[in-house]
Amino acid sequence: MSAHPEVSAPLAPANLARSTRPAGARGKPDPFNTTAFRLSVGYTLLVTLAVAVTLGSAYLLTQSLITEDVDLIIDTEMKGLNDKFNRSGLSGLTDEINLRIDSWGRVGAVYLLVDKKYDQIAGNVEQWPFKGMPAERRPEFTIETIEPGRRSSHPVRAEVRTLPDGNRLLVGTDISQGQRFSEKFRVATLWGIGLSTLAAALAGFWFSRKLARRVEDVTETCRRIMEGELGRRLPVAGANDEFDALAIQVNRVLDRLEDQTRTVRATFDSAAHDLRAPLHRLRARMDSLLRRSPSLEPAVHESVESALREVDRLQRTLAILLQIALAESGAPLAAPMAIDVGELADELVELFEPVARAQGLTLSSRHSGNTMVHGNRQLLAQLMTNLIENALKYIPSGGWIELSASRLDQGVRLVVSDNGPGIAPEDRERAVQPFARLGNDADTHTSGLGLSLVAAIARLHHARLALESNEPGLRVIVDLPLEQPN
Amino acid sequence: MHILLIEDDAEAAEFLVKGLRESGYEVHHAHDGHDGLQHATEGSFDLVVTDRMLPHVDGLSIIHQMRQQGIATPVLVLSALGTVDDRIRGLKAGGDDYLTKPFAFAELLARIEALLRRSSSGAEATKLKVADLELDLLARRVVRGGREIELTARELKLLEFLMRRVGQVVTRTMLLEGVWDLHFDPQSNLIDVHISRLRQAVDKGSVNPLIHTIRGSGYVLRDSDP
Repeated sequence: MSAHPEVSAPLAPANLARSTRPAGARGKPDPFNTTAFRLSVGYTLLVTLAVAVTLGSAYLLTQSLITEDVDLIIDTEMKGLNDKFNRSGLSGLTDEINLRIDSWGRVGAVYLLVDKKYDQIAGNVEQWPFKGMPAERRPEFTIETIEPGRRSSHPVRAEVRTLPDGNRLLVGTDISQGQRFSEKFRVATLWGIGLSTLAAALAGFWFSRKLARRVEDVTETCRRIMEGELGRRLPVAGANDEFDALAIQVNRVLDRLEDQTRTVRATFDSAAHDLRAPLHRLRARMDSLLRRSPSLEPAVHESVESALREVDRLQRTLAILLQIALAESGAPLAAPMAIDVGELADELVELFEPVARAQGLTLSSRHSGNTMVHGNRQLLAQLMTNLIENALKYIPSGGWIELSASRLDQGVRLVVSDNGPGIAPEDRERAVQPFARLGNDADTHTSGLGLSLVAAIARLHHARLALESNEPGLRVIVDLPLEQPN
Repeated sequence: MHILLIEDDAEAAEFLVKGLRESGYEVHHAHDGHDGLQHATEGSFDLVVTDRMLPHVDGLSIIHQMRQQGIATPVLVLSALGTVDDRIRGLKAGGDDYLTKPFAFAELLARIEALLRRSSSGAEATKLKVADLELDLLARRVVRGGREIELTARELKLLEFLMRRVGQVVTRTMLLEGVWDLHFDPQSNLIDVHISRLRQAVDKGSVNPLIHTIRGSGYVLRDSDP
């Protein structure tokens, strides 16, 4: 059992934690994990497949047509020579073969008539190209020819038949031309597939880059607007496409938002002006009264001075309220720059130390590691000041207050802790609301704005604020991010 | 000394004009931006005090156009906005000081005096001397009547601020801004405590105290026994 009923789970009110930025949320997307990339890969694959199927079937079809053509010629000739043999016997066939070789035979024709021992009887090839009778219906082989000046080998497709007298006849065709054509077709097909894949990939890449860039433009613009550059608009490319339509619509929404924000800002400025101007006149009047009438009765003098102090207090409260309102309006943090939180804490402790000591309190600070953040020095100083003043107000003599700053992975932690009465768990969330009065707070001069200003400044800095029990006392934790947007 | 006051709030302006005249300044009052801009760029003034929000021409545009025309006259901006970024905008536009309404007249007077003196002050000295009090800024050493005085770094800065404005009233807010770089008012009487500690160190036991409290205004460091 704990001696302190308020020692419960650390409290981070939901309305304070909302400004916490998810880590890495603003990083650029992985270029391989984009819709554009996936689209362009898919597009390329599809084009490759389509081109491969088209060209591949054309290639296969052409090849089979060439072969059929050759086979038809061989068939016809074989039939003719067979008829000749049947009509005129071996000598007639031999004559016919010689005739065809010598004079009017077709280009690339190959004939060979051999006896049972495969020795040549007639023909333009000397050697039987096979061992015995080939098994295939249309065997293919190569022959060596001596053409004027060079030796070359030619592929031949042939048909072989055993004549009724036991001799064997081979009729073939030099298919080197067909094969050359087919080879060229094959290379052309492969080039075709390759080039169209490349073209598709390039086009896909270009297209997806274009698409991605427009989406990036939208994302970047939205981010900047979120950070307060309210005058920004989505680019309209003038292409009159769906992106332009989207941009135009979004820009209309932004126009209205900017109008509203400007109205809020103008209202804010004129409210500040309208509240301060009469205060200013009032103060000037009293000031002038004091200066110009030195002979005022002491009692009157004292009461005018007291009224002046009230005006100043009112002015301070007003300043804090305006600051909170400004933070709530979503305006960006003014003039962020590099600030050493630890050093600033040291300076404020040094500033307040004599006052604390006069109250019988110990005020100290400590910090470790690099405690630089991006922030507004005045606002951070005011945050610390309010926490210190708050502690000075509530801690009885003999107590202590400590400011500590330390480095976190993603930021800097400022902790202001004390051993005072603390804030009951059920009051902690309310403590950061404007004008909250907790427990038996009898001090009528406190406006109850201190902690709500702290919360507003934390929110402006995208910091996380938590109030915890210090067992006993209060521990206020402010986790500041290292960088501010912009 | 001739001051141009640009302020559209007639009643507030009346008090300021009266107060400034009583303090020995010659004042011209322009009651809108147009008039103010014309006087600021054509007349010859030692100082311009302008409101931030004015009809027709905004206070910041007046400063901007003055600076563009090469007019270096110091400008004190009075603003009813008083937010952190409004102050930054005011100084960025070329303003020399910024005061949030409402302010004590003494505060305005002290700042006007500081701006007027600044524009006529010479180069940075490294040794400051007032009566028998000497501050060596390079050695960071303070000597009063031959006796060395131990001061913290901040007390040294505070003393330097006062000594550089010898005979000039400095307010608590001016000290907070100049010595601590804080542009808001803490509720406590912080500055008084720090001044009293400095006074303990510098003036204790002296027949000629140098640090004086000006009731309703602030402090002044001066040799009242010349």
